[in-house]
Amino acid sequence: MIDIILKSIDRIPAFPATTQKVAALLRNDDYAVADVANVIKYDQAIAANILKISNSAYFGARQKIKSIQDAVVYLGQQQLIRAVQTAGVSRYFSKGGKGYVAQSKDLWEHSVAVALMSQILSRKIQSREDPVLYTAALLHDVGKLIMGEYVHESFEEIMYRVKQGKCSFLEAEEAILGINHADLGGRIATHWNFPADIRDAIAYHHRPDLLMEQDKKNAWLVYLSDQACLMMGIDGGIDALAHKGLEDVMQYFNLRMIDLEKSFISLVDELERAKDLIHNL
Amino acid sequence: MGDLIVGISDLKVSCNPGDVLVTYALGSCICVAIYDPKVKVGGLLHFMLPDSSLDAVKAKETPGMFADTGIPILFKSCYAYGAEKNRMIVKVAGGASILDDTNYFRIGQKNITAMRKIFWRNNVMTDGEDTGKNFNRTVRLELETGKCILKSSDGTVREL
Repeated sequence: MIDIILKSIDRIPAFPATTQKVAALLRNDDYAVADVANVIKYDQAIAANILKISNSAYFGARQKIKSIQDAVVYLGQQQLIRAVQTAGVSRYFSKGGKGYVAQSKDLWEHSVAVALMSQILSRKIQSREDPVLYTAALLHDVGKLIMGEYVHESFEEIMYRVKQGKCSFLEAEEAILGINHADLGGRIATHWNFPADIRDAIAYHHRPDLLMEQDKKNAWLVYLSDQACLMMGIDGGIDALAHKGLEDVMQYFNLRMIDLEKSFISLVDELERAKDLIHNL
Repeated sequence: MGDLIVGISDLKVSCNPGDVLVTYALGSCICVAIYDPKVKVGGLLHFMLPDSSLDAVKAKETPGMFADTGIPILFKSCYAYGAEKNRMIVKVAGGASILDDTNYFRIGQKNITAMRKIFWRNNVMTDGEDTGKNFNRTVRLELETGKCILKSSDGTVREL
């Protein structure tokens, strides 16, 4: 079974090079607007998507953004990176995930919610936003796009295990299908040539405690953002709350319960502003 | 007429027998469904957090976010349509947790406790409850019959 699942990674189209190129340009603080706009314009599909996303209330541009040039000027570095990443990722989520969710839109909503939550927590913990973390959070469940059909076939077996053995959904996936959706997501990130920290944050988003790297911050942040969204009912599908709670996370970030409760409130507000981002996919 | 959807931190009340109040995907949040069979008035609340002292401004703006501000408004809004407390049927669902032996993420449990305290102080008895555990729930309240249908993410559907 695992061989068949791993083979399906090759069916996933390559990650748009435009997104990576733009992100690389924007990493340099004195990027030229014209350079960035030129790279984006070259890719029609992405350009159209970026225009749509840039006009979302979430990005809060004061005037209507009519051109890529406008988007680069008005959004600014941080927002633009996020708009470009969101545009790049969104097309994969327009279908797939069935087996976990009733409709693809649900998995996309969960993904955007976790990405927004990762920035809320990053502002709280590191006093800044973090585009790398944003991308990892947006993609954390990408493995479900492939796993969905296999989980669907084995759903009863998986649920039986979760109910009987008190094991997590992740452990049940691994026992029955030979691989879990997080690990599979990490392999998709590798297939897309994403940097190692994004790959790890995806692959270990349910078990950051098992990651052997020095810097595990992003994996823990994606984990915590995901858990928070699961608690709020903005879940990534039938696995819902059947995931392991790791109490170390609170100590790791020196967080109190009250901080998390406040982050819930912020997320409700941000989701309201990001509505069109989620529903106009 | 039809399904009225109650989002996170929201509450809705109706006296239209054709209406069905629905709230989806309760994780650690809790749904309080109340119904007066005599006047066929019902309401649904989907609160997220136990205590409004966390954010007083937000509590004013969105009282349905917290147990202590949402539950009183839910009852009062039904009274405004002619419902009476002594006839009210009260059902609750939600307050789930993730799989966690040490229970560090206690929001579900805190929500359940806060709600029970409020009911206790105000002499409200619950007629049906499905709380805790670790699955998501969807609740539908039919105004015509007062039937409260609970659907869980483990696949079960039953009347509460």
